[in-house]
Amino acid sequence: MSSANIVTPADKILVTGSNGFIGTRAVENLLARGFFNLRCFVRPSSKLEKLQKILAHYPNAKNVEIVAGDLLSREDCARAAKDIAVIVHLAAGFDKSFAGAFMNSALATRNLLDAFLEVGQPRRFVNVSSFAVYSNYHLERHALLDENCPLETEPQARNDAYGFGKLKQEQLVRDYGAERGLKWVILRPGMVYGPGKPDLSGRVGINTFGFFIHMGGRNEMPMTFVDNCADAIVLAALKPGVDGEIFNVVDDERLTSNEFLARRKEAKNFFSVWAPYPLIRFGCGLWEDFSRKRHGQLPPVFNRRRCAAEWGGNTFSNEKLHKVLGWTPKVTTEDALKQFLAQFK
Amino acid sequence: MKLRLAIIGCGKIADQHVQAAHRAGGCQLVAVCDRERLMAEQLGERFKIAGVFADASEMLKKTSPDVVHITTPPLGHFPLAKLCLEHGSNVYLEKPFTVTAAEAQELVALAEKKNLRLTAGHNYQFTLEMIEMRRQIASGFLGGAPVHLESHWAYDLSDATYVAPILGSKTHWVRQLPGQLFHNLISHGTARLAEFLDDDVTVSAQAHQSPRLKNLGGQEVMDELRVLLRDGKGTTAFFCFSTQIKPGMNSFRICGPKNSILVENGSGSLILNRAGSAKSYLTYVLPPLRAARQHVHNARVNLIDCLRGKLHQDFGMKELIERFHNSIREQGTPPIPYREIILTARIMDEIFAQIKKTEADR
Repeated sequence: MSSANIVTPADKILVTGSNGFIGTRAVENLLARGFFNLRCFVRPSSKLEKLQKILAHYPNAKNVEIVAGDLLSREDCARAAKDIAVIVHLAAGFDKSFAGAFMNSALATRNLLDAFLEVGQPRRFVNVSSFAVYSNYHLERHALLDENCPLETEPQARNDAYGFGKLKQEQLVRDYGAERGLKWVILRPGMVYGPGKPDLSGRVGINTFGFFIHMGGRNEMPMTFVDNCADAIVLAALKPGVDGEIFNVVDDERLTSNEFLARRKEAKNFFSVWAPYPLIRFGCGLWEDFSRKRHGQLPPVFNRRRCAAEWGGNTFSNEKLHKVLGWTPKVTTEDALKQFLAQFK
Repeated sequence: MKLRLAIIGCGKIADQHVQAAHRAGGCQLVAVCDRERLMAEQLGERFKIAGVFADASEMLKKTSPDVVHITTPPLGHFPLAKLCLEHGSNVYLEKPFTVTAAEAQELVALAEKKNLRLTAGHNYQFTLEMIEMRRQIASGFLGGAPVHLESHWAYDLSDATYVAPILGSKTHWVRQLPGQLFHNLISHGTARLAEFLDDDVTVSAQAHQSPRLKNLGGQEVMDELRVLLRDGKGTTAFFCFSTQIKPGMNSFRICGPKNSILVENGSGSLILNRAGSAKSYLTYVLPPLRAARQHVHNARVNLIDCLRGKLHQDFGMKELIERFHNSIREQGTPPIPYREIILTARIMDEIFAQIKKTEADR
């Protein structure tokens, strides 16, 4: 085994969600590093054009396995995890319901972890989580949000099913580490952007009422370009000595919400209305109180916790990512924005 | 008296039951149960419910609930409902009530024998506009027994989130049902026909697969259904289930010998169509104006109901739960007559049998 990595190219690596926005880039990154012994796990209904296009670029990728299945099936998980040394777990559940999000995140991960420990040759489980697990509710505006910040304790009040699923998924991974000796690394990417994902993040604004409302202004975006994010994930899968570590993934240079929207509009202009933060906060508080008073007649989609998390604004750090993982962004923010904006022209 | 309520099956629909039960009031959630314990734990944790179980028998023994809401996939409905009834609990079964009409009949017989109550999750029967429709019918608006019924029920497949996992796995529970996709989606649309048809119903059904589903890799799964029905008294009915009609139609029309009523569930509207004609060219002017007046009236009523907090997206479920729980407390009649529940199951059985036969003949 090379001292630079915990696995050699002969070891098998499983990538779940490998046909997704980040997953395809993670597969490409592994191939570029000479790891061809890959197993790509995809949903049975997936259209595989993106993934197959990437595999076609690498003549040595002929033996890359594509396994279709459902992580909620233990049999499918066993097929996926057999003889695997490292799992890069990117598959995510975007169900709007809490039960659905929990099922697709936590339950699916539980099945995969059990299979990994049973039929794999486990060396590391890389769990790709999200910034959604943090709570900045009790942080000052623009305070530093890093890996030591508190996790969300009231995902139901925040009406964030996705965040709830990710919180429970992380908890499971940590429990498996403590109780069954699983070696894990957790990554929490911020706002991942890039070609292939045209929608603006809710952190910039919302389309809920039929037009775009620009939320906030000078708040910093925890942005990371998809290729840079994938690079961090692959490093977390390979680098020795990082077991049990949690990394936030954001790029070095980060724009404010104002700047990001202005760049987006340069590529293709559209109508938007700006809402200043004090107004957003007042509106979210009012909405939350009304929703509670009326027993959910109006779903609590806007509430104080979400307001703080998405539009309150924090500063971010990737110091740990640099120092411990040895990551540096391969794509500059300017180049990344060019690639992102090209899809609108 | 506060009813002790338990839920078996902690998937997506269970959240709706918990919230609707809270709004209905008069009950205390004492336990949640799911074969997958983690699912029960997440529901229990979010709604602060103390009893969390992975085994239904154990839950029934330890908590003795007055009423159990069963929100599992349909294949589990019959055995779980039977178990609950045998333990002395009343049962609310999500739709489809059971997989077959024979199972429905057996459950009803058991409930009656044990003096317990059952209901089916036909909550769209209890929306504000459906309640108003019944009030109009009771006041004699139709002018006699219904002559013809039309029920349209739509399901939008443009977002493949629901259907993709079903198409992706032959072992998915929806694929295990005799009527597959239809089995899980047509209960609401057929239940409202059963309310007005007698038991002597003949059914003629046709089904096919839409191009959209074919593109998604639909295999043998069908998603377009048309059914003609006629009962012993000569009342006819048409049922249309579609994933393709846009905008999605979710409506019920009931035609009497004198007047007719159209219920638009999508917009919570009720249109009363009165017989009678206007003179000459006024026939092109007055009826549209009368219809416009009714639409404005519907908008006004809905707005007022909304501002007063009466109109809620889940009003039908809250109303059904409230009425069912009241029937348990007062030892009264359940909100949905058993005859309707069994007839709905019989109609569905017949539809699926005919589709299967047509497919086999091809």
